[in-house]
Amino acid sequence: MRWEPGLAVCFGAIFFAGDLPCLKAVCPGSHQSSTSDEPDYLEVTGQTGERGGTLILSERSEAKTFNPLIAIDGTSRETIALMMADLIHINRYTQQSEPALAKSWAISQDGRRYTLHLRRGLRFSDGHPFDADDVVFTFRAYLDQRIHAPQRDFLIVGGRPISVQKLDAYTVLFNLAEPYAAAERLFDSIAILPRHLLEAAYEDGTLGSAWGLNVAPDQIAGLGPFRLKQYVPGQKIVLERNPFFWKRDGKRNVLPYLHEIVCLSDISSEAETIRFEAGETDIVSRIGAENFAILNKDEGRRRFRMYDAGPGLEYTFLAFNLNDLVQGREPSITEKQKWFRQTAFRQAISNTIDRGAIVRLAYAGRAYPLLVPVSPGNRLWFDPAIPRPLRSVERAKRLLREAGFSWSADGSLNDVRGRRVEFSIMHNARRAQHVQMATIIQQDLKDIGIKVNLIPLDFATLVDRVFNSFVYEAAIVTLADGDSDPNSQMSILLSHGAAHAWKLRSNSSPDEWQQEIDRLMEAQMTTIDHSIRKQMFDRVQQLVWQHEPVIFLVSPDILAGASDRVGNFQPAVLSSYTLWNADQLFIRGEQSVAPR
Amino acid sequence: MKSIGLRALHSLLLLVGASVLSILLVRLAPGDYFESMRINPQISNRTIAALRSQYGLDKPLPVLYWHWAQSALKGEGGFSFAYNSAAGPILWPRAQNTLLLAGCATLLAWMIALPAGVLAAARRGSWADLLASGTIALLLAIPELVLGLVLLLFAVHTGFPAGGMISAARAEAGFWDKSRDVIRHLFMPAVCLAAGLLPLLLSHVRAAMEEALRSPFILAARGFGISFRRVLLRHALPAALNPIISLFGLSVGLLMSSSLLVEAIFGWPGLGKLMLQAIADRDLFLVIDSTMLGTGFLIAGNFVADILLYLCDPRIRAD
Amino acid sequence: MAFVQSPKLPLVALATVYGIVTMAGFFAPYDYERQNRHTALAPPTRIHFVEPNSRFRLRPFVYRWKLRPGTLHQYEEDHSIAFPLRFFASGRPYKIAALIPSWIHLFGTRPEGNVFLLGTDEYGRDVFSRLLYGGRISLFAGLLAAGISVSLGLAAGVFAGYYGSWIDETIMRAAELFLAVPWLYLLLAVRAFLPLRMDPAGVFLLLIAIAGTIGWARPARLVRGVVLSARNREYVLAAKSFGASDFYILRTHILPQAYSVAMTQARLYIPQYITAEVVLSFFGLGVGEPVPSWGNMLDSLQSLFVLESCWWMYAPAALLVIVLLIFEWFFRAESSRFQAR
Repeated sequence: MRWEPGLAVCFGAIFFAGDLPCLKAVCPGSHQSSTSDEPDYLEVTGQTGERGGTLILSERSEAKTFNPLIAIDGTSRETIALMMADLIHINRYTQQSEPALAKSWAISQDGRRYTLHLRRGLRFSDGHPFDADDVVFTFRAYLDQRIHAPQRDFLIVGGRPISVQKLDAYTVLFNLAEPYAAAERLFDSIAILPRHLLEAAYEDGTLGSAWGLNVAPDQIAGLGPFRLKQYVPGQKIVLERNPFFWKRDGKRNVLPYLHEIVCLSDISSEAETIRFEAGETDIVSRIGAENFAILNKDEGRRRFRMYDAGPGLEYTFLAFNLNDLVQGREPSITEKQKWFRQTAFRQAISNTIDRGAIVRLAYAGRAYPLLVPVSPGNRLWFDPAIPRPLRSVERAKRLLREAGFSWSADGSLNDVRGRRVEFSIMHNARRAQHVQMATIIQQDLKDIGIKVNLIPLDFATLVDRVFNSFVYEAAIVTLADGDSDPNSQMSILLSHGAAHAWKLRSNSSPDEWQQEIDRLMEAQMTTIDHSIRKQMFDRVQQLVWQHEPVIFLVSPDILAGASDRVGNFQPAVLSSYTLWNADQLFIRGEQSVAPR
Repeated sequence: MKSIGLRALHSLLLLVGASVLSILLVRLAPGDYFESMRINPQISNRTIAALRSQYGLDKPLPVLYWHWAQSALKGEGGFSFAYNSAAGPILWPRAQNTLLLAGCATLLAWMIALPAGVLAAARRGSWADLLASGTIALLLAIPELVLGLVLLLFAVHTGFPAGGMISAARAEAGFWDKSRDVIRHLFMPAVCLAAGLLPLLLSHVRAAMEEALRSPFILAARGFGISFRRVLLRHALPAALNPIISLFGLSVGLLMSSSLLVEAIFGWPGLGKLMLQAIADRDLFLVIDSTMLGTGFLIAGNFVADILLYLCDPRIRAD
Repeated sequence: MAFVQSPKLPLVALATVYGIVTMAGFFAPYDYERQNRHTALAPPTRIHFVEPNSRFRLRPFVYRWKLRPGTLHQYEEDHSIAFPLRFFASGRPYKIAALIPSWIHLFGTRPEGNVFLLGTDEYGRDVFSRLLYGGRISLFAGLLAAGISVSLGLAAGVFAGYYGSWIDETIMRAAELFLAVPWLYLLLAVRAFLPLRMDPAGVFLLLIAIAGTIGWARPARLVRGVVLSARNREYVLAAKSFGASDFYILRTHILPQAYSVAMTQARLYIPQYITAEVVLSFFGLGVGEPVPSWGNMLDSLQSLFVLESCWWMYAPAALLVIVLLIFEWFFRAESSRFQAR
């Protein structure tokens, strides 16, 4: 019973217009079919559900705050996403942007001015009406330097913050310093805040600490499908249906269908699996492959279904320390960097690593072996021209031989000057898959005569070494995933990017190919045409594949499960993986809230 | 009276010492809370640096300590970086839950250990003694984490709730209904926690009793023809009380640290998982606060033990 | 019971265990790191005497495991080739007690076949071999750390209990401080300063020795309680009035009292330090791969899949129970002897 993914119907054409007067002309009031007091509903496609029911789900950690400005951790952001709404939203399934609170938008020809037309007659979850003042307030808050909203950095384009201007009660103009590709994606997850509740805190300078977990439910309101009902510390967060939500289904039923969502917090992954299997929870999200296998056995007898949404955007890589170290400090690492800096050496390592074994043993077959930082889960930007990696010890040995390496009688590898090749790999001791990857790589590299020492470390120590002290030889790293757009990879791929983990400190200008990557990435960011951007990003992937600055390993699949009671369940590879369409989820055969 | 005043002073010094040492140790370990954010490519270095300076992590240690001490005196206990809120309101509701769980578990463990230890000591070499040895060895050999998981699986198959403190769907029930629900949820984690404590208690109770039973006056009492049961309970047990009471004080002190893992496995909403996460995240002030709570339990436990010793052992009272 | 009385028997048993573990290379058919990636998490190899066509063979033989297609870690026997077991077979070279090179193993098969007495782990490594090699670290680490903790604790406890007053106060407050402070961070800090090339077993032994040093507080506290009551007994007071030296009183009257508490603590600490590794490895403080120890082998049980369906992965816990019972036996026999004297 697959249904057409996402919100196929796109309201309001996207206009391209040269100047403002023209824009004003294309959005007259006659556009609206509704009467003045009925809200401007967004109609969605998909299976029509039943109203009512409570959805119970588990979170592996606890939400830390309800404040969208400062929330960083995944759980908080997922919870907030249920209560808040944005102007333009990225459909988590199609990965395309689509209208949300902004009914339509227009881009000026130079790509620097965005005019957004807001839905009329909408109300926050406390019943207070919503208009352009809330939008202006929201962006003022996100851009305020005192608050340090992590998303502020996205709203700085060409070195200058985006400027926001209210044109009338339902029209807002955004000005960018430079044209920015896919700028409409910037609006995603910028939660529109209720000015009437937060302005006082903003004036006091206490907005950053507002909306902590202990906030009274009547003091928090948003435009999302649900609103806060109760928070029990360490146990659960209960959300209830927002009666003022602005979407409706094909039969004109106002969404969401669910009466309540109960998020049980702080459940370990093992307990989560056990509780889901026992029928205590309705949804599990992003579970490990082994737990997935446990739940997936003898399907048909069970009252739930498991879903493999395919490889996600997250990827893991083996990074060599390529930083230019302070002269004289850590001489042994500096020596080894002479190997790490050779492309042939890195390629040999890449050829020796059995990614297939990693996929099979560490991920029970549910991952995708990678050569570049883009998995097929990224629908719009994956380049099928990049081959799947294959292990070849012969090719590795040939590469090494050509680079002047040789083998001694006992089979160990020596470099040009006869020094034995041996290095250490740090990994996060707490992630079972990282431990497994490291152990597999260690054994693989034995085949070309390299001795690897493994150094398990706790997460904070590992991050400190990779990003701060640079005291390491190689490390297994997984960066947090973001949007599917190449713009979210800027800080990783640019030679001066903050997440260019393998070379954060450099004394010289980057290699030629890295300079080309820099140029291409900068250029694609200001290019509006999608197909040209795609060509540029394909070239970037080619360059990464040819030079392998780091050894990309795998992208794990996004694995989820849902009880048969849940309708419209459709996991996606973007956060929040299973709850992105929470407004359309429904419970079958239940008319009212009934305790199970 | 004077000794109580002196004791209070010592306890205060202990608290200060523990807080100083713990802030030193946490800062000694590499990395801090905000630096770990660098794994997220969407957050810029500028933001991270701004956050670090906003929360004072770029300041020298004494200044940080001073901030914490001021806030601790107000009852807030510093600031949790992860929760972006004062630590006090996060800690208190969880501390109550931990006390409930750990208290029940300690009670349970003692209720098993005391009679079983006495029995095992009284009948050396009997099946009771061998069973005690076997139980101790088994419980020691299985790590608490694994035992917890096994019990969790067992819970599911026997219809016990698999973790948490209350049933998810039960929100508006009456007080009795609620209490029964909590007790059902309490059972498994309490058993697991008690199982962790049991080897320590059981082996010490047994050893102390064996020691007492070997003393000359017990042999003499037996020689006078007093029944073994009476000798055991009236003469040997009081003689063995001293180390047992010390152990009781210690077991109260261990309450918090031992519940750390069990709470995490069973999803009990106590301090355990919060602390485990705080330790891994380097959530500085939460770690210090938890150390303070642990120290508080220790002081209380030892205080109770010393008072009990004073009441039970006339030789110490004479001192 | 008689067997409890003589400490010789358990001593022999202990010596056997430590001997087997030291000679791990001989008793184990494989080394601890060879991965058989196509037979990960395979159950123990069955030893056969009868062929499928019911012909009996005197020499036991084994079959290889073959993955049942489309399953995760479910295996069936591949009956196409039988591999007879060989005794005193030559195999991978190793060193007896890290000194004498050898390549003779107690048993094995032809290199194409495999005999996994206790199944394989997540990488397809032989659990039996890893168990023997792992004992080298775990049995030693447990003794080392427990020895350090208990001897330090015994000294501090006796000292505090016997001298009392401000010495007692100071030592006991220090003990409380040691019990309260998060030492984990000290271990993390020490770990961070270790050189990148250090051998995983060495790192672990260093860290567990530090942990042992930190663990003096609990025994100290318990010993002190016993000493406190012992020092006021009539015979101690009598000895004092005769002008006996402190050393004499400590040795003849106080120490025997504290001995039983200290031994009980030692018995508890040995396994606790061995299994502590399961938690320590959370923070990267355990023995690093691929070197086995009983603690890091038990770590695999945290995966629900292994916990539910791979009973052979409990082997380290089972062996630990046996070793603990032997220790228990030894300590009890020893304490009877001590009392008798």
